[in-house]
Amino acid sequence: MNAVAAEWIKLRTLRSTWWALGVGVLTALALTALGASTVISRWEPGQTGEQAAMGIVVAVYVGVVLAQLPLGMLGTMSISGEYTSGMIHTTFVATPSRSRVLLAKACVLGGIAIAASLLIAIPGYLYGHVVASGFDPTLPPAGAWAVIGGGTLMIAMTTMLGLSLGAIFRNGVVAISVLVVLMVLVPFAGRMLPGGEVVNRILPGYPALQLTEQMPDIMPDEAAFAVLGAWSVIPLLIAVLANKRVS
Amino acid sequence: MDMIEVIGLTRRFGQSAAVDDLSFTVTPGKITGFLGPNGAGKTTTMRIVLGLDRPTSGRATVNGVPYRALDRPLTHVGALLDASAVQGGRCAEQHLQWLARSNGISRTRIGGLLELVGLGEAGRKRVGGFSLGMKQRLGLAAALLGDPEVLLLDEPLNGLDPEGIRWMRGLLKSLAAEGRTVLVSSHLMHEMAVTADHLIVIGRGRLLADTEITQFVRPGMSLEDTFMKVIEGSAS
Ligand SMILES: Nc1ncnc2c1ncn2[C@@H]1O[C@H](COP(=O)(O)OP(=O)(O)OP(=O)(O)O)[C@@H](O)[C@H]1O
Ligand SMILES: [Mg+2]
Repeated sequence: MNAVAAEWIKLRTLRSTWWALGVGVLTALALTALGASTVISRWEPGQTGEQAAMGIVVAVYVGVVLAQLPLGMLGTMSISGEYTSGMIHTTFVATPSRSRVLLAKACVLGGIAIAASLLIAIPGYLYGHVVASGFDPTLPPAGAWAVIGGGTLMIAMTTMLGLSLGAIFRNGVVAISVLVVLMVLVPFAGRMLPGGEVVNRILPGYPALQLTEQMPDIMPDEAAFAVLGAWSVIPLLIAVLANKRVS
Repeated sequence: MDMIEVIGLTRRFGQSAAVDDLSFTVTPGKITGFLGPNGAGKTTTMRIVLGLDRPTSGRATVNGVPYRALDRPLTHVGALLDASAVQGGRCAEQHLQWLARSNGISRTRIGGLLELVGLGEAGRKRVGGFSLGMKQRLGLAAALLGDPEVLLLDEPLNGLDPEGIRWMRGLLKSLAAEGRTVLVSSHLMHEMAVTADHLIVIGRGRLLADTEITQFVRPGMSLEDTFMKVIEGSAS
């Protein structure tokens, strides 16, 4: 617990944390508002209240997923900054268990990612409700939970992946480049190649888009959640092992 | 049992041994100077004691156990290695806050410690703007945070002004007088001559001397001269 509290102090006392969060949340909110208005203005008048509620949730979680890269970078910087400055040695003197340090960072960042997703989703949802008031939206239907869960897991996963890559490469520029390649370039290239379907299934991007109803289903939702979960946990385990290496 | 013990310690980097079958014990109640030319293996030894590096063979213990086995280690051991290895974006107070929290140490100590090391005015300033001497003082505050019975200080005098050096001498003496174990490395022989009670001298990773300073210094010679002789003698 001490380690988690210490990591939280470290993160909140760096200005770059608030910049990353501010940029991520504000751009996502702006785009959510724009996107929701556009989508809602195109709805057929016959939408039921339930369809409208679902539509708002879907529009909002597109926005949430947009904030993933700044959060992934925050994850990376939370450890690569310590390696660059050499302060990681002070951290390891204070908390000799390196896996405990990494897991403490993961807890704090996971919490921040979920908080950020709510900071985008809740105002976005309320805004969507106002814009779509003509359709009398109900409370979100049961089907909305996959969207909410998928979007939240996606942003948390990217944050964890950023942290893991930072811990593995110990260099911010390298780690962020790999993050962008994994999250943006490989899925993009994968879609063009023959067999891209398979690549899509095992990369984190498509499962998240499927869960947030942006792409047609190519796998059961459970499988999509499992892929996202694996991308949050497996790189972290690799990072724990890589951190046992002495520096 | 407030001791640092190094037992048959060897650390190789590739072919060459930075620390070579080194054994010594640092005991409480006095200041032990850790001397040796550049590259002798002082920092490597201290890093291994702190669990930052693993020995090729042999071991090091603090209070009888490996460093990594200590619970809330900062309350037992205070260390100052590379004072400039801090993130510049935080202010001095915030740096000490996370460090205290990591070991469940009350943050009420922070203000007094910053006063003690002469950073009372600079506590709210960003560490990035600190001079080397100010970082050294912050590092010392960090080392004292947990009121530890054992201190490992790697060249703590670097960057300190004359007033700072004199102040450090007094502080180290009072810490030792309180019964703490104090291991200090330095290249400043004149300073060590008036500060240290005991000396551990190493060269090329090997132990050259482990003795009271009064026994080490040869009659009619300064500590510096004796040190040079011992180093030359070991090289031939
Ligand atoms: N990570 C490393 N990789 C390779 N060699 C290393 C590493 N760390 C230390 N060494 C080597 O180990 C030897 C001892 O270095 P160390 O830093 O312990 O010396 P020192 O006594 O602290 O010297 P100084 O007085 O200059 O600080 C040196 O030859 C150094 O080059
Ligand atoms: Mg050194």
